[in-house]
Amino acid sequence: MACLDCSSCSCDPAATEMLAIAEAQSIDTAWSRYAAQQPQCGFGTTGLCCRICLKGPCRIDPFGKGPQFGVCGADRDTIVARHMVRMMASGAAAHSEHGRHIALAMLHLSKGHLKDYSIRDQEKLMVVAKRLGVKTDGRELMAIVRELADITLNDFQNQDYDQPCNWLNASLPAPRLKKLGELELLPHNIDASVAQSMSRTHLGCDADPTNLILGGLRVALADLDGEMLATELSDTLFGTPSPVKTTSNMGVLKKDAVNIAVNGHNPLLSDIICDVAADLNAEAIAAGAKEGINVIGICCTGNEIMVRHGIPLATNYLSQELPILTGALDAMVLDVQCIMPSLPRVAECFHTKIITTDKQNKIAGATHMEFDDTKASENAASILRVAIEAFRQRDPKRVHIPNFKQEAIVGFSVEAITAALSNINADDPLQPLVDNIVNGNIQGVVLFAGCNNTKTQQDSAYLDIALSLAARNVLVLATGCAAGAYAKAGLMTQEATRLYAGEGLKSALTAIGESAGMNGPLPLVLHMGSCVDNSRGVALGTALANKLGVDLSDLPLVASAPEAMTEKAVVIGSWAVTIGLPTHLGTVPPIVGSDVVTGLVTDTARDLLGGYFIVETNPALAADKLFDAIQQRRSGLGLKTYSAPALPARTKLGSRQMPLLPERVS
Amino acid sequence: MQQTQVKENVIIYAEPDRCLGCHSCELACAVAHGGEGHDIVSAVAAHLPLHARNQVVSVDGATMPMQCRQCEDAPCTLVCPTGACHQAKGQIQIVEQQCIGCKLCVMVCPFGSITVRSEERHKATSITNRGVAKKCDLCVEWRASTGKSDPACVESCPTKAIKMVDVNAYRDALRLARAREIAQSHRSIRISL
Repeated sequence: MACLDCSSCSCDPAATEMLAIAEAQSIDTAWSRYAAQQPQCGFGTTGLCCRICLKGPCRIDPFGKGPQFGVCGADRDTIVARHMVRMMASGAAAHSEHGRHIALAMLHLSKGHLKDYSIRDQEKLMVVAKRLGVKTDGRELMAIVRELADITLNDFQNQDYDQPCNWLNASLPAPRLKKLGELELLPHNIDASVAQSMSRTHLGCDADPTNLILGGLRVALADLDGEMLATELSDTLFGTPSPVKTTSNMGVLKKDAVNIAVNGHNPLLSDIICDVAADLNAEAIAAGAKEGINVIGICCTGNEIMVRHGIPLATNYLSQELPILTGALDAMVLDVQCIMPSLPRVAECFHTKIITTDKQNKIAGATHMEFDDTKASENAASILRVAIEAFRQRDPKRVHIPNFKQEAIVGFSVEAITAALSNINADDPLQPLVDNIVNGNIQGVVLFAGCNNTKTQQDSAYLDIALSLAARNVLVLATGCAAGAYAKAGLMTQEATRLYAGEGLKSALTAIGESAGMNGPLPLVLHMGSCVDNSRGVALGTALANKLGVDLSDLPLVASAPEAMTEKAVVIGSWAVTIGLPTHLGTVPPIVGSDVVTGLVTDTARDLLGGYFIVETNPALAADKLFDAIQQRRSGLGLKTYSAPALPARTKLGSRQMPLLPERVS
Repeated sequence: MQQTQVKENVIIYAEPDRCLGCHSCELACAVAHGGEGHDIVSAVAAHLPLHARNQVVSVDGATMPMQCRQCEDAPCTLVCPTGACHQAKGQIQIVEQQCIGCKLCVMVCPFGSITVRSEERHKATSITNRGVAKKCDLCVEWRASTGKSDPACVESCPTKAIKMVDVNAYRDALRLARAREIAQSHRSIRISL
């Protein structure tokens, strides 16, 4: 493999250990494929390649001597804007398709078609139902579920362009809704917003970069709507996350167990696999696995079951191939999104069964076992039996499980955070948080989201920026593969708070943790869930904004995606900007070729919406810029501002290691 | 006195069958000349007035970049009135400080590989356009400063269509290939005249 030194690929020691094995056995991974892809095309990188019609591809010369217009006449601004909007539409389609699955499951449950599902959190169902205007008093549970499902599905069906989607309308602060309404940015229908984004970016349609980007922001809000309904309905079905202690990194694989990993995003199947696994333990033991079945998570399916049930997380996106190389992974069950098509090729070198389950997400070379939610338990049992059978084929001589895992306290939904705070002030749980922000113990809040990207040493940008901000007393929230990075690195521990939090943050987290009976502080980084659960960050911001009677754009709340990669990350960043958040991107998006589009998503967005993109690939500088943004918001609220000295840059490609000494397992 | 044998100049050679016409070599060339310390993203963001010294050309269904062939009896060196353009160190060099931008070299270059232009931002009040002759310099300075062995265009080509060719090695390979064919045929023919 034409790969660099493995430690420059990832700062996760388990990943680098497995990468050395990949090198030795000539097994391709994302990193070796990235090296083989170098150099990547400059036109695509700057967004100046248009592939929208068959007259193309057309390229604009970024240096000005060559062609400045595509064959159709589109200029660089039109080309960059159209492709950016298409990325947003794709991201919105992905998240909201996940949401649609959950909403349809609710509908089918209410009709009595789903025997394996129930409303596990009735309290949350009632709260959500009331918020959406569903009457709850004296009604049958399933009648409430039915109406809530109908109202939710209406967000995919409403044809009145001026009637905003129900979930956004019921969830965002009033001043933000007013502003978005005036700018005609509130979507009326998720599917229509995606379709209209595709339609307006077709050849010969919308060519005005400003109008295009505004359309992009509308579909970005449709994405937020899809994320909100996915998160909230999943909580009613599977339980609202509350703090739970678990473990993370590849040391969670067990030599003497049938190891089955769930990878993807949607909890509909994986949650049932967790239930059914216990029933099949005896079969696994009979097959020779002394410790029975060990369900572990990868990527965001992993996060879903980690925050709800404390299932250990093996790894995050970029290293998803590597658990196979342990020789101890018996099956990997895939649902949707962020699944590497290379998995069956890697698994060919081992006994691991790669099982696809979604009819729209198949991979050649994988075993397809189609998931039918009316037969969820049977499907889960069949899949688990395939894993048990695969275990019998395992070659014990090839088992090499990296000796790294970290404890992680996870499951900080807004409800869980509020519950912890209510131990300090039961009547007004948010008041202690507000007090700490006002007195400066907590300078502000940063929400880390997004992916991994081979353009950055895996996880290193997450760790650098979070440690820099936590030392400056910024409260750190995380979702998705950001959360995976922090869990693997041991930053979701009380020890991390003691080691790395600034004094103010440490005292605030300790007061909350102690009063919640945790015998110490809350962890340094609060795990809010998978990437659709970025809506939880919005819910927390909205609760704070409503309490203070301000807009989201007034709060010292910022977002950061230091290792962004997917179209979903692009659209999340776009709605974060649209609801008013300064939003850092650590990967340069393909818009550099157009000053107009770059200006629209930075300066113009700031003027119109309060939110804006901060593109900064250097983690140390990004931390400084995010801290400055927090201070500007504090100043706007009339709060005392602080100028913490910039911390020394920690990042040097190849030298970054995880901050805590990883715990040795046994 | 023993006469030193002069080695032929190395050339940039592109295989038309492998070239996809992506223009990546042009971007890499532009950034390598005057974009010191920049990559494509930062060079574009900084609006550097950069220009490629090669150009991808399509003709009769074939595509390839065209650039200076480092001729051994180069017409450009013969017509240059200031001596800026001359044969040295295994290539045709243009000393930009001595060039007056007269374009005679542009007119006599059989391959259309020389362009006269300025890579400074144009000032309306200036009494000169500051244009000088630019052409492929085999990335000599860029390679020295970056420690790379291949020129930027060669490095940037996703299909490996572009190569820097030592003509001796090329000729040896050609001879070997043809000799192998002829030897093979000869064994089959087995006649002597």
